[in-house]
Amino acid sequence: MSSVIPPVAAISLLYTALIFAIALYAHHRKETGRSIISNPIVYSLSLGVYCTSWTFFGSIGRAATTGIDFLLIYLGPSLMAFSWLFLLRRIVRISKEHNITSIADFLSQRYGKSPWLGALVTLIAFLGIMPYIALQLKAVSTSFYMLTGAHTTAISFSKLGSDATIPITLLLALVLALFSIIFGARRLVSSERHEGLIAAIAFESLIKLLALLTVGIFVTYGLFDGFIDIFERFKAIDPERFTRLFTFNTATNDPNYTSTFTLLCLSMGAIMLLPRQFHVMVIENSDERHIATAMWLFPAYLFLINLFVMPIAIGGILVTGSSSNADYFVLLLPQMTGQRTIALIAFLGGLSAAAGMVMVESIAISTMLLNHIFMPVIIRITPREWFPLLLINLKRFGIILVVLLGYVYYEIIGDSYTLVNMGLISFSAAAQFMPAMLGGLYWKRGNKAGAISATLLGFLIWLYTLLLPSFIKSGWIPETLLTQGPFDIAFLKPTELFGLTGLDLWSHSLFWSMLFNISSYIICSILIPQNDQERDQVHKFIGVFDREEAQRRTERKRLSKPVTTDQFVTLLSKFIGEAEARRALDLYASSTDISRDGTVSEFDLPNLKRFTEKTLAGSVGGAAARAIVNNFLSDIGSSMEPVYDIFSSVRTNLDQNKESLYVRLKASEIINRTLDLQVIMDDLLTLLVKEFKLDTALIFVKNNEQGYSTRSVQSADLPAKRTAQWHAEHIPYLNVVYHEQEAYFINDIRLEQASLTLDKSVTEGFISCAHIPIYREGEPVIAVLSLFSKSIAGLFTREFIELLTSLAGQLAQAITIVQEVEEKQQERLQKEIAILQAARITRDMEIAQQIQKSFLPDSAPEIAGVDIAGRCISAAHVGGDYFDFFLRSDQTVDIVIADVSGHSVGAALIMSEVRTLLRAESNSSYSPHVILQNLNIQLFDDLSRTELFITMFYAKYNSETGILSYSNAGHNHPVLLRTSPNASQELDAEGLILGVIKQVPFEEGTVELVSGDVLFFYTDGLTEASNSSGEMFGTEGLYNHLNAVAHLPTNEIIDSFYARIHAFTGSQILQDDISLVVVKIL
Amino acid sequence: MKRLRVQILRRLQLRESWIIFFILGVILMTFPFLNIFNKPVLLFGVPLLFLYLTTGWIVSIIVIYFFVIASHYESKQNDEKSEP
Repeated sequence: MSSVIPPVAAISLLYTALIFAIALYAHHRKETGRSIISNPIVYSLSLGVYCTSWTFFGSIGRAATTGIDFLLIYLGPSLMAFSWLFLLRRIVRISKEHNITSIADFLSQRYGKSPWLGALVTLIAFLGIMPYIALQLKAVSTSFYMLTGAHTTAISFSKLGSDATIPITLLLALVLALFSIIFGARRLVSSERHEGLIAAIAFESLIKLLALLTVGIFVTYGLFDGFIDIFERFKAIDPERFTRLFTFNTATNDPNYTSTFTLLCLSMGAIMLLPRQFHVMVIENSDERHIATAMWLFPAYLFLINLFVMPIAIGGILVTGSSSNADYFVLLLPQMTGQRTIALIAFLGGLSAAAGMVMVESIAISTMLLNHIFMPVIIRITPREWFPLLLINLKRFGIILVVLLGYVYYEIIGDSYTLVNMGLISFSAAAQFMPAMLGGLYWKRGNKAGAISATLLGFLIWLYTLLLPSFIKSGWIPETLLTQGPFDIAFLKPTELFGLTGLDLWSHSLFWSMLFNISSYIICSILIPQNDQERDQVHKFIGVFDREEAQRRTERKRLSKPVTTDQFVTLLSKFIGEAEARRALDLYASSTDISRDGTVSEFDLPNLKRFTEKTLAGSVGGAAARAIVNNFLSDIGSSMEPVYDIFSSVRTNLDQNKESLYVRLKASEIINRTLDLQVIMDDLLTLLVKEFKLDTALIFVKNNEQGYSTRSVQSADLPAKRTAQWHAEHIPYLNVVYHEQEAYFINDIRLEQASLTLDKSVTEGFISCAHIPIYREGEPVIAVLSLFSKSIAGLFTREFIELLTSLAGQLAQAITIVQEVEEKQQERLQKEIAILQAARITRDMEIAQQIQKSFLPDSAPEIAGVDIAGRCISAAHVGGDYFDFFLRSDQTVDIVIADVSGHSVGAALIMSEVRTLLRAESNSSYSPHVILQNLNIQLFDDLSRTELFITMFYAKYNSETGILSYSNAGHNHPVLLRTSPNASQELDAEGLILGVIKQVPFEEGTVELVSGDVLFFYTDGLTEASNSSGEMFGTEGLYNHLNAVAHLPTNEIIDSFYARIHAFTGSQILQDDISLVVVKIL
Repeated sequence: MKRLRVQILRRLQLRESWIIFFILGVILMTFPFLNIFNKPVLLFGVPLLFLYLTTGWIVSIIVIYFFVIASHYESKQNDEKSEP
């Protein structure tokens, strides 16, 4: 019979070659850009990797022994498909965004990129999948023996001259591992989807479906007469078995359907959480839209592949008469009936099922091993040139390890478990990820501690209640542990833990593991706070559908030192090889405006860093990639600050935000650089536009009730003047901002349309905008800062607005300072002008004084026998005092002394007028009273208009006759001092002050002067001069002094009077004008 | 705005119905319903439970199929609406 081996092996090889051809073709199509696997049907078929030897062989065995409950393993996934639209789509979206490589990577990234969680999940997957791989090996090798009828389980190489033998199963394991390596580990970029692998898997899914359908149809319609015939015959022949197989509870004597529910739950979890399912569903998904089709196509596939399971099982029982070896009915039935071709097809179907599963599973797990177990160790070593080689070989090693471990388990467990029971152990292991997965997707508080403790506890219980008993049953571990419990503690019996009996193996394990798993997840998540990084990740995972746009803008980081792209190429080369690194960087450079050899600008760098991390994450996993890039950057002296982002930062401590600190710093530099407000505003807006990738920034100042004018406009692209056409529709917002003193922002203008039309803004392409008041605390708004973005909806987060508000505050401060400086300058200028004016006035006054002084007589007229002197000293620069002499003839002189009220220029002008008039009068021979009368009439209008008055004493002296005739218009009475005692008198005559009434008669008095008489004319400034104690000089002082100095010449008399007044007042400055005229008869 | 809300609501309703059908499916797979069909009898020559499970399965596949078609149609409509 062993001669059958070569043809079977040959067909297997041919089949393998076909698979390779398909994989190569798919790869080639992908290279040329016409992917065949980017197709919903291929995607759905690739999900069919769920159906393994378990389905192909095991289901039939299960159906023939315990009955219809085999279906639950497929009903669960079908039900789960209902949830894919939101559950799977979310997972796929997140995974694509973060370049996630496996389920371990997914969970690790969700929980703060925790390397421990990643390692734990990897370990569980690695150990948990062991029975599943063993199942495949067992199924395929057994089917091989059956088909070939080989009695040995090993191939002898004695012909080659040695006695070495190698077990067929081991050989099979190695071949499958080789397949996996060829398909999944030729190159190291695992984030790149394995097109060839998926094409092969999809093809194999098709083969196993067709194979099973072929066998099914053959059995149902070839051996029997259709479904009904099989069922009816079976019921008739073996009603007891019929009852057992076609109802649920008879097998386990379980009235509550617990085991039904357990199987349902396990399979629902498995479809999402088994590493290979996660791999084909999430990692290899090329288009989110394929999920929709897979939602019905995959259940339909499951339905079809299971349609003939029951008939085959029943047919097998009917044909063979028993259910022993039922696992292989699919092969036995054609073989027993001599249909070798169908048997071969069945064998190929089984091989397909097993090979597909082993390949995907081992690749998925080896990726996890590499990224989460090997990598954390390797990244501690400095990158070397042989790193790419090491990494790829580690991955290959991982694949072999996974397959070999499955083989070892198969060797240990052997035939003690049916295929399905072996598979269920793996399902239970995968189920341990469920709480962390679902919690991670929908519960924000779910944290690292919770996830790790939950997964670990669940895993330990699984280990104890399922894996351990499987070893016990195989006799590898003494059975006493199972029957009596460890150390004879019955309480801890692995299958009756804590005394829980009456449940089947799976329900028992699921109950305890889930109890501990879920409760520790919840308790730890509630009790232990999340750290910053975890929060950051939570935000990215849970908010994934909310922030599609904003996501791309996150993680803007600032570097202290410029870095070149070449340095990144060097870094990447160490892990993925130089060609690959160049290719990746070129791709990146082409999508941005970075030139590949140039230095990277500060704000492109975070993107580049992100890209590098993503690329590396593809081969080494997220956590490791991050560590590598950070290490690298700190090595080249350009340490990157911890991850934070300015726009959607989940960190509440804004102070730590380096980005905003940078902008603040720049802003204050701008503000302090100049006092030119326009320059400050322009520069500040340019800064904002550039740093935050805004499109337009404006500063509005309110003109009046309605209008606003732009003080500064900065735009990323469109010409600034165009802005005038659309920003008018934002005026209502500006009003609100002015009034409320609070920032107003619209994160999506298109949604804002209802409350206010912003059509023009929408037409311009603006998506979001913000208006920030520029004001100082407690003061009215000075202006409004308006920012517009065309690309980012949701740009204006609370943190961003806070930053902008604070910048606006800085600007307000600057404006206030500039205004204060301007005000001070203005004030100084005004003062200068005032001083200048005062100086001019002073000068004018001095000139006026000069003129006025020139009006007064320089010297007294000389008349024989008379000594005359007169002098005026003004208090102000110009005064109203006036005295004059008019020489009429050789003997006659007119003496006039007057005082215009006030000391203004007006008074001086009136004085000059008086002088003019008097000069004109002086040529006439009128007597004093007529002169005063005329003068009064002439001056009246001017005086009454200017509200000035004049007191005047007019005297006419004839030296021949010695007669002094005089008239007085309200002036101080001149003093006539005579040598004879008591003869002194004051000269007085009736008369009103000039300018009061137009027609006024003036009395004229006469007196004869004799030798020795001293006539003293004065103005009131003399008698009214007061000292510091308020005493006035008075007429008494006048008399006293005059008596004392009367013997002196007139000039000296005047000198002495001024000296006396200065002495009396104690000051050199006169309080009032003082004019003195002294006439001494010689 | 109003139109958008209607669309979102419709979407939510759709999403809710996915969940409702999911839960309904789980309920159909639990004790009370299973107990009704868990009898060793033939109906139209097919075991009752087997018939129940396969028929339910087919129905659920058809239901998902129509939902997917509907959601395709709806998203297409949304695209058309949002384009101009």
